[in-house]
Amino acid sequence: MRREWAPLLALLASFVVAGYAALRLLAGNPIGIGAWFVGSAVVHDLVLFPLYAGLDTALVMLLRRRPELATMAGVWWLNYLRVPAVVSGLLLLVWSPLTLRVPEAAYHAASGLSAQPFLPRWLAVTAVLFAVSAATLAMRVAMVYHGGFHRHQVFSGRIHRGSTVHHERSRSSARRR
Amino acid sequence: MLPRWARRAAENLPPGPFRASFWRSPLRGPWFTAVLSVALLPGITLMFLTGLASYAAYNPNLAPGNDTTPDKGLLGSWLPGWPAGPSWLYWVNQGMHVTLGLVLIPIVLAKLWSVLPKLFEWPPARSLPHLLERSSLLLLVGGAVFELVTGVMNIQYFYAWPFGFYQAHYYGAWVFMAAFVVHVAFRLPRMVTALRARSLRRELRTPLSATTVEPPDPDHLVSPDPARATISRRGALGMVVAGSLALLGLSVGQTIGGAARSSALLAPRGQDLGKGPEDFQVNKTAVDAGIGPVDDSWRLELKEAASRSPSVSPTGVSLASMSLSRTQLLALPQHTARLPIACVEGWSTGVQTWTGVRLADLAALVGAAPGASLFVESLQRGGGFGSATLSPGQVRAPDALLALRVNGADLSADHGFPARVVVPALPGVHNTKWVTRMTFQPAAAAQP
Repeated sequence: MRREWAPLLALLASFVVAGYAALRLLAGNPIGIGAWFVGSAVVHDLVLFPLYAGLDTALVMLLRRRPELATMAGVWWLNYLRVPAVVSGLLLLVWSPLTLRVPEAAYHAASGLSAQPFLPRWLAVTAVLFAVSAATLAMRVAMVYHGGFHRHQVFSGRIHRGSTVHHERSRSSARRR
Repeated sequence: MLPRWARRAAENLPPGPFRASFWRSPLRGPWFTAVLSVALLPGITLMFLTGLASYAAYNPNLAPGNDTTPDKGLLGSWLPGWPAGPSWLYWVNQGMHVTLGLVLIPIVLAKLWSVLPKLFEWPPARSLPHLLERSSLLLLVGGAVFELVTGVMNIQYFYAWPFGFYQAHYYGAWVFMAAFVVHVAFRLPRMVTALRARSLRRELRTPLSATTVEPPDPDHLVSPDPARATISRRGALGMVVAGSLALLGLSVGQTIGGAARSSALLAPRGQDLGKGPEDFQVNKTAVDAGIGPVDDSWRLELKEAASRSPSVSPTGVSLASMSLSRTQLLALPQHTARLPIACVEGWSTGVQTWTGVRLADLAALVGAAPGASLFVESLQRGGGFGSATLSPGQVRAPDALLALRVNGADLSADHGFPARVVVPALPGVHNTKWVTRMTFQPAAAAQP
């Protein structure tokens, strides 16, 4: 009985502290602050996530439909696109206000500086990220051609045929039998 | 056992993300989530502690005017005063708070990705305890994103909210932490179990071709119908680390300053200003503060608020109040201190060489009591932080100055000409610029 009540009591204690803070948080502008608090989570869950997951899913589905495009000399290249795109996108997500020069006036009033350099800098960082990724991919492809890579480090390219997932499942069901 | 209505709801799932078959990534699972959690647990704890320290650094309990959240009550009335050193204390604290916050963003996003199917549980609540737990998770997720969004916007001067930053970020942190502590208490055992179930070293050696789903888990994080992996688990974790390292590498230079500043390509204070004595970062320009040209008629008004009947020196000058020209201040004993100024926004000026009159010497000049605090007022018109109260310890600190010169040159208008306060380990905005009046007062009678 006591074990069942402990989590409930912990939750209630947490709500007391959160409520004490929330009263002060909301004091100035309950609707505005409440909207930003809930909206932050909603924007992530229902805008940002569907956006990046949707883009990625579309790309993966395209490669599943056109397996001849999915590999270069047996190397699965998708992640050489994903990693620089994710890092560059993340940098833009975090630094978008100054990169897009939205708070330019406030930035200038505080620092005496112009926000003009940030967009070219982000573009340059993005170019470097993609260039490094492309160079790494080219090196791997070259190593495959020269036989320098072990087979297991290279994606087999068997997209439609038996997947490792199913192998493991059949193995475990065999054990059960 | 579930009530009948809940069972019926579970059998009639809405389409799309409410169905387990919608979530097909083979990477989702308790181990993957636990690895991200094990990074967030110390990270978030450190964020809270450095945030609390940053609030304490304003000495909110010394004078109402110092307090950005005066209705805090139990959420900070117990905080101790802030010491006047070591000089790097606020620099390191705030650099860590802001830079770590940036570094945690990719990890938080990955963690939210890893548990997102749980958002679409159906029915949304199957019992009162379940409803309470999910409400707590709303505070947890909403709080985490709210804190990151307000912090990231504030360091870019993007004040688009209908509220003040200090109140929102401070009370928001408490709401979040209340939910965070119970979340950790509830889930820590599950995190430990999940981490033990798989070897990290082995996972880091597993290539894409051998990447498979984790075994089914009671929390249903593991997809019942997984697609073939398109990235290994080590690859996905590597991508998160790459994101964190990119944010770290392209911003930490604005905290370190000096030659490292140019590496902070995307950070607000990553622009190198040059090599001259005044070429370092400014928090508020003279133009923005409404400061016109200050000429020789400027006088520093120095007061001692405690004495009821002004005592008189042998030369007949009232000791309780005096006004000093800049020439007179320069004729007083000058002290030089090498100090950084660190902003709440995480950047710093780097160490600069300040020269001026010790605050302790000014206190002695007007016969202030040894335990007096100091209320400093600026010529600045409008905007925040036009005044600040310094604690007795800060007034006594050997390196606490009313600075007149920096790096061998007279202060520039943007750096606070004719005189500014510089105190070791004090948050940037409390190092008042364009000082016009300084009032020493007994600590108990601190002015708003």
